[in-house]
Amino acid sequence: MNQLHDAFTLFLSLLVEAMPFLLLGVLLSSGLLFLISEKQLIAKLPKNPLLGSIVGSCIGFLFPVCECGNVPVARRLLLARVPPSVAISFLLAAPTINPIVIWSTWIAFGDRPSIVIFRVLFSSAIATIVGCVFSIQPDTRELLQTSFAKRMKPIVDVKLDRSPLLQSGTFLLGQGKPIPFDDSLSVGVQSDNASNLKTKWQLFFTNLLQEFSELGGMLIFGSAIAAIIQVFVPREIILGLGHDTITSIVAMMLLAAIVSICSTVDSFFALSFASTFTSGSLLAFLVFGPTIDIKSIGLMASIFKPKIIIYIFTLVAQLTFIFTLAYSYFLG
Amino acid sequence: MRSKSISNKQKIFSWLEGLGLLAWGTLLLKYSFTGQYKLLIHPNYFSLVLGSGIVLIILGTIKVKSILNNKLQKNSEHISLFPPGLGSSLLLLVAIAGLIIPPKILTSQTALKRGVGDLPLTTIQPQAFRTATKPEERSLIEWIRTINAYPEPDAYSGQPANITGFVLHLPELPDNYIMLSRFVITCCAVDAYPIGIPVKLDASRSNYPVDSWLTVEGIAIAETLPVKDRIETNAITEKRSVVIEAKAIETIPTPADPYSYR
Repeated sequence: MNQLHDAFTLFLSLLVEAMPFLLLGVLLSSGLLFLISEKQLIAKLPKNPLLGSIVGSCIGFLFPVCECGNVPVARRLLLARVPPSVAISFLLAAPTINPIVIWSTWIAFGDRPSIVIFRVLFSSAIATIVGCVFSIQPDTRELLQTSFAKRMKPIVDVKLDRSPLLQSGTFLLGQGKPIPFDDSLSVGVQSDNASNLKTKWQLFFTNLLQEFSELGGMLIFGSAIAAIIQVFVPREIILGLGHDTITSIVAMMLLAAIVSICSTVDSFFALSFASTFTSGSLLAFLVFGPTIDIKSIGLMASIFKPKIIIYIFTLVAQLTFIFTLAYSYFLG
Repeated sequence: MRSKSISNKQKIFSWLEGLGLLAWGTLLLKYSFTGQYKLLIHPNYFSLVLGSGIVLIILGTIKVKSILNNKLQKNSEHISLFPPGLGSSLLLLVAIAGLIIPPKILTSQTALKRGVGDLPLTTIQPQAFRTATKPEERSLIEWIRTINAYPEPDAYSGQPANITGFVLHLPELPDNYIMLSRFVITCCAVDAYPIGIPVKLDASRSNYPVDSWLTVEGIAIAETLPVKDRIETNAITEKRSVVIEAKAIETIPTPADPYSYR
């Protein structure tokens, strides 16, 4: 009973620490959907694959979205004929390379600044490398889900129409060719700019609440797992896993794949392992976690061919492993 | 009929969402005003918690108002892993549980599990060796920091000490020693780790039960004591350590802010 109460206290402490960041995250991501013109952004993207990947991995600063929000945006980018290298880099980097995530990581790991710095460096490096790898394939459609590529009719789009940024525009069905992105069809923001501030506010509000409930549910789930592991799993087992350089990295990467906690608050989750696991493995969790979770795989499956998703995750996992191993040996 | 049942369902989800927001806002405000937040997080983040509490209350009020005015806009479906309503139900449930069950102060049990004594290897950061602080004004954590920065036990011999902490009985220590301990919080209770300094009593430690809080006045001495490595090997080794020889001990009630912060 005592232990249960301990676990509950730790669970609450994670939630109370994370809640402000979750709130800030959804406030900003809902708000910025209305403020940033995607069209202008796309026009400015560089064509060179390397530059494109680098820029792609930095767009996260403009779209502070975590895993949940980046897939729809990446899909929009692809539809707008942005090179896949940019879209994939964005997909992988956006959940980490954004101001709120960096801030919350700093709060959790301020006493170990190298974790914060290398989280950003490794994530952008991995996103850029994977983006470059996929830029070798010149035909975007080889990468995309057949139905998505054939008609360029986004399967999931119907459901997402609510967000002006994510509107699919008009496509001729069955013609095999998308209509190029067009001014009048582009972003809803322009059309109702003056007309309906109220609708805009309502959209903002609905989006906000939905994201908050969903990510909050996910956060509760993740925090419960963290608290239970801390209190009920015998310390010997955790220490045994956590003190070895390699097993600790593998264990934390596995945990990252299982616990789909939002990247805005995942550093607090990692913090609960801070005294027992190596810094390298915490870093592996923080780098790998945002790129992979059950929810984002479901979403990605609507865009990419399964083979491509496997390639992406294998690459990301290997790179994370190598980078964090190097970090453990040279700096940890 | 069908459309009616759907709209009823929608209404329930909306209520769950609205009440969830209000409940979380209330919970965060309650922690802020009762000071219970100190048991959960580092006080630096007090304003974040307070601010979020206020924002959540505002959002919840807007939501509930819009339900009452029957101005529900159609909830567009959102791609989600959860069935609709599950996220908000969880939020609501946890907030209610939090309002009913107060947070608990971590105790000796957790301290033993987490390994008391030195700062955990990973969190040791060199601290400035501040000779400026008078020894009798050092708190428990300041003693540990100073000793970590300059770990020569004999250097402290004869210094007066006046420290507060809770009692921990370590089996490897002789019967007239207690470990006076405190938890240190970096960010939130999840990362709390125990620190402690051995206190030499003139009688058996059974007079001072585990988890009771004491203020100890005494003098630092250097002694060789058995130290158990709880992090890796569990081996007991002899180690020359700083020990506080108690001159006066006062039992105090559990302080409102039992943790130290860094």
